[in-house]
Amino acid sequence: MSKTKSTKSFEDKLKRLEQISEMLESGEVQLEESISLFEEGIKLSKECLTILENAELKITQLKKEVSNKSTDEGEDE
Amino acid sequence: MNEEKQIFTVSELTQSIKFVLESAFDNISVEGEISNFKSHVSGHWYFNLKDENAVINCTMWRGFNNYVFFTPQDGMKIIVTGRLTVYPPRGSYQIDVRSMKPAGEGELQAAFERLKQKLKSEGLFDVERKRAIPFFPSKIGVITAIDGAAIRDMISVAERRFPLVELIIAPTKVQGSGAAEDIVDSLTELNKIKDIDVIILARGGGSIEDLWAFNEEIVARAIYTSRIPVITGIGHEIDFTIADFVSDLRAPTPSVAMELATPDKQELKNAIEYLDQKMEELLLEKIQEYRQRIDDVVDSYMFRYPLEKVRNFYQKIDNLFYKISQQIDRKILLSEREIQKYFSIISSYDIEKTLKKGFTLIKQDDKFVTRKQMYLSSKPVTIKFYDGELNLDDK
Repeated sequence: MSKTKSTKSFEDKLKRLEQISEMLESGEVQLEESISLFEEGIKLSKECLTILENAELKITQLKKEVSNKSTDEGEDE
Repeated sequence: MNEEKQIFTVSELTQSIKFVLESAFDNISVEGEISNFKSHVSGHWYFNLKDENAVINCTMWRGFNNYVFFTPQDGMKIIVTGRLTVYPPRGSYQIDVRSMKPAGEGELQAAFERLKQKLKSEGLFDVERKRAIPFFPSKIGVITAIDGAAIRDMISVAERRFPLVELIIAPTKVQGSGAAEDIVDSLTELNKIKDIDVIILARGGGSIEDLWAFNEEIVARAIYTSRIPVITGIGHEIDFTIADFVSDLRAPTPSVAMELATPDKQELKNAIEYLDQKMEELLLEKIQEYRQRIDDVVDSYMFRYPLEKVRNFYQKIDNLFYKISQQIDRKILLSEREIQKYFSIISSYDIEKTLKKGFTLIKQDDKFVTRKQMYLSSKPVTIKFYDGELNLDDK
């Protein structure tokens, strides 16, 4: 559950980071806004890198409902 | 036995036939073409084996057919091994099949081609229906054998490339009889989980028989109807299965399938670091730009010569002052003239006083003659008395 969130938040953060970079590139933002965007960007990039660094693969094994078909039977001996 | 013809009951005769036939053909192999193949819900198979001139019924019981790696199709040439049995209630004989195999390597290939053409014409392989694989998967469903090398490879690829992801593994039989059904079952189960972004259907390398489950029609149809996009990674580079044609993306191996399903951690890091650098550059650029603007202003004429303006004002004031003083000078001059005028008037009053005392003044041409040498004898003379003027020539 939290795993799903971390991927989503990673993706969201990365998207925001890209957006910030684009905004800075457009040159349409004022200096003060640029600085606060830059601060936000640096914070996001650190968070993204931390998420990547600390991520641990989660593995879940699906428990399938046993033998709902005749063909499944007779082979688990 | 010879003298009198023995009369059998139907049952006795059938029993004899049964005995003769079953003992004579208790272990036979027969080659023929399948027709009327039926897989009963009970799990038993019923079909006919035929050639140009003859047909024979066959049964293959559940338990035995579990070991058949392919699903028989009508028209397929096979070799069955089993024994002949007689069924007394119907007076019929049939082959009780214990094993079957394709009559030749070409048979599987032919079955493969038949199914491929059929599914292709139905549109199952259409490029337009292939779905995009999401770039940032949260959950990846994995259908493969739980104890194979493929799963270990895929886990290590996921760990290395994108450990943010969660793998949901559906342990599945991927080889031998029942494998196709189990794959279908796993696809169905994974499709019930709502936030799986992509499914990988994988199996390591093997013979055409080992991989046959992926050539079964039910697997193809299950991939086609899967709500979630499916990546196949079956066998090696050279192996193409029907499943590969239907899937949304075909990978040559299980490892590559996992690579195609996940973004690379190192690449992401590089991208983030690049963005970092770019942002910094852009900001510094911006600051430099502002600095330039400030410098431009500071370097401007007004900032370099701040007194210039003051001086200009001084000059203006001086000009005004000059103008004003000129005006005043003129006024003074005018006043002086006025004074002069009055002064002469006043002085003339002084003359009157002298005249009153009895002095006179001599005038010629309206000018007073105050000295002897000014006198002109040719001109008329006017004498001014206190009480009037007298023209001497007015005789």
